[in-house]
Amino acid sequence: MSRLSAVRPAYWISGVLLTAAVVLPLLVPTYAKPDPHLWGFPFFFWYQLMWVFLSAILVSISYRLIRTEERKRRAAQGLGDPEAKDRAGAKEGDQ
Amino acid sequence: MNTDVNWVQLIIVILIFGAVTVMGFMASRWRSAGHLDNLDEWGLGGRGFGTFITWFLLGGDLYTAYTFIAVPAAMYATGAISGFFAVPYTIVAYPIVFVFMSRLWSVSHRHGYVTPADFVGGRYGSKALSLAVAVTGILATMPYIALQLVGMQAVFETMGLGGNNTLAKDLPLLIAFAVLAAYTYSSGLRAPAMIAFVKDILIYLVILVAIFYLPHVLGGWDSIFGAAQEKLAKPNPATGKPTGAFIPGEAGYVSYWTLALGSAMALFMYPHSVTAVLSTKTRNVVRRNATLLPAYSLLLGLLALLGFMAIKANVNIKGLDGLANPQLAIPRLFDQEFPAWFAGIAFAAIAVGALVPAAIMSIAAANLFTRNIYRDFIKPSATPAQEAKVSKLASLLVKVGALVFVLGMDKTVALNLQLLGGIWILQTFPAIVVGLYTRWFHRYALLAGWAVAMLYGTITAYNVVNPATKKHFGGSLANIPGTTTPAYIALIAFVLNVVVVVVLTLVFRAVKVPDGKDSTHASDFTADRGDPGVHDLPEIIDEGGAATAKS
Repeated sequence: MSRLSAVRPAYWISGVLLTAAVVLPLLVPTYAKPDPHLWGFPFFFWYQLMWVFLSAILVSISYRLIRTEERKRRAAQGLGDPEAKDRAGAKEGDQ
Repeated sequence: MNTDVNWVQLIIVILIFGAVTVMGFMASRWRSAGHLDNLDEWGLGGRGFGTFITWFLLGGDLYTAYTFIAVPAAMYATGAISGFFAVPYTIVAYPIVFVFMSRLWSVSHRHGYVTPADFVGGRYGSKALSLAVAVTGILATMPYIALQLVGMQAVFETMGLGGNNTLAKDLPLLIAFAVLAAYTYSSGLRAPAMIAFVKDILIYLVILVAIFYLPHVLGGWDSIFGAAQEKLAKPNPATGKPTGAFIPGEAGYVSYWTLALGSAMALFMYPHSVTAVLSTKTRNVVRRNATLLPAYSLLLGLLALLGFMAIKANVNIKGLDGLANPQLAIPRLFDQEFPAWFAGIAFAAIAVGALVPAAIMSIAAANLFTRNIYRDFIKPSATPAQEAKVSKLASLLVKVGALVFVLGMDKTVALNLQLLGGIWILQTFPAIVVGLYTRWFHRYALLAGWAVAMLYGTITAYNVVNPATKKHFGGSLANIPGTTTPAYIALIAFVLNVVVVVVLTLVFRAVKVPDGKDSTHASDFTADRGDPGVHDLPEIIDEGGAATAKS
């Protein structure tokens, strides 16, 4: 039970962030207009280019949250950290 | 009109191409542990690529030469709706990929799946469904490969290669493809992975220079956007409507977001995307890449704006056949505005940019054929070595097919089929992505939904008539049934697909049509590198998707 309640916030927050990263750039009426300009770019163009960065940030935060959560889960299950092994340079015969 | 060969450009292109060829052949020894006589080694590069290599590989794979030609061409010809949607498309794709792709990685890793159809077959225990996914993948990939050639052709044509006789015109393309086929055959996925470095560095270089240098030459961003706005507002002589949309008006909102969302959902259904993802080392490589790949989206967005620069620069887009061809806009822009040596680098970037995805796509299509047609239906007892052999041959066949396509048929056929390919490939989404989470969908319902949507999408796309040329397959937008709002056909078909699947699932469950055998296990979807095989798993791992079942 304690593990479940520990899992949920990370997944919920990530879910919200990722949903925002999908939905907000698709709300065309919010940005289909020329003004305000930025460095000669109409709003429509620079706003969408800005979303490239925003989306990358949102996905990065989700990644960190979920990675931490998965490490906890794997540790609780007695599974190793494959990337720690990787850093140690051990070779694994994958199937 | 430039019909003479530009030697400076040509020599630079040949030099870079030569260097890339050497790399392609040397790649077979790169990071190789064993022989290239099984699909994991040949077709997935040994499944050992880390974040860094994968970033280049996926970037080189997804952002193809054709994209680099077609997106600005669309901006040049019709503006934001058919061109700039590529930006939200590639923004939205990564959060979606982040969510489901690591599950596909895990289950494929544990069961040795090489293709998305392998997974569908194993998950639903249905060879028919797996065949449907495989055939869709092959059908959607073939024209995509052909279009890489079209992209290359645009570059060769701008360099002045191509005379009146067929041989001179097509020879460069034939040579480029023969070389590509040879090193793909010998090195497998390692060749494009290595070449992707060159491709991506060249492309970044070219775009950055273009984005800073060209506005300076052309009189600043203000005047570039001004020229574009003016050109796109002009009425089209054939229809009397504006040529395009500088910024989508209210009528174009739905088109814009459905194009972006539909394409984003389809992107990682393409077999070549899956191939690149499955070649990674650990489950998290793909997630990390979802955070890093947007760098390419930025590149694509800037590149799209080159289409507007081509408007401002007033480039000549008449092809050698005398017809206007917007696909020439970017090569001609480079040719006109850059010194010859830098235009040569830019052209090499596009040409090499065609080789990477073409190689990966042909490998992916070949893997689909080998695993899901040859092994499932022709020779179930095939050994790994035989599979690799068949796959190598199939990759050759696929490329020859694409070549015949481009040389033998009108270019518009490839374009139409690629448009259809996007519609088709999205119809595998329910089986693949939903299947990663639940088996509630019935296998036959999925098959029926797929079939209905394929048919609907194809017919609808056929019925779109270009108002100017009166030709079928006039675009990827059609009215949502019962409304006058145009939307992306792929997404309309997808909704239809899901509705059919849900209704039929309820029906099949009610009349108790048996499910197929599921050879996957809940823990497979969260497995990571170095985990024990599925049969040795202690019960504790049975948690992955089973939280609700346990509580």
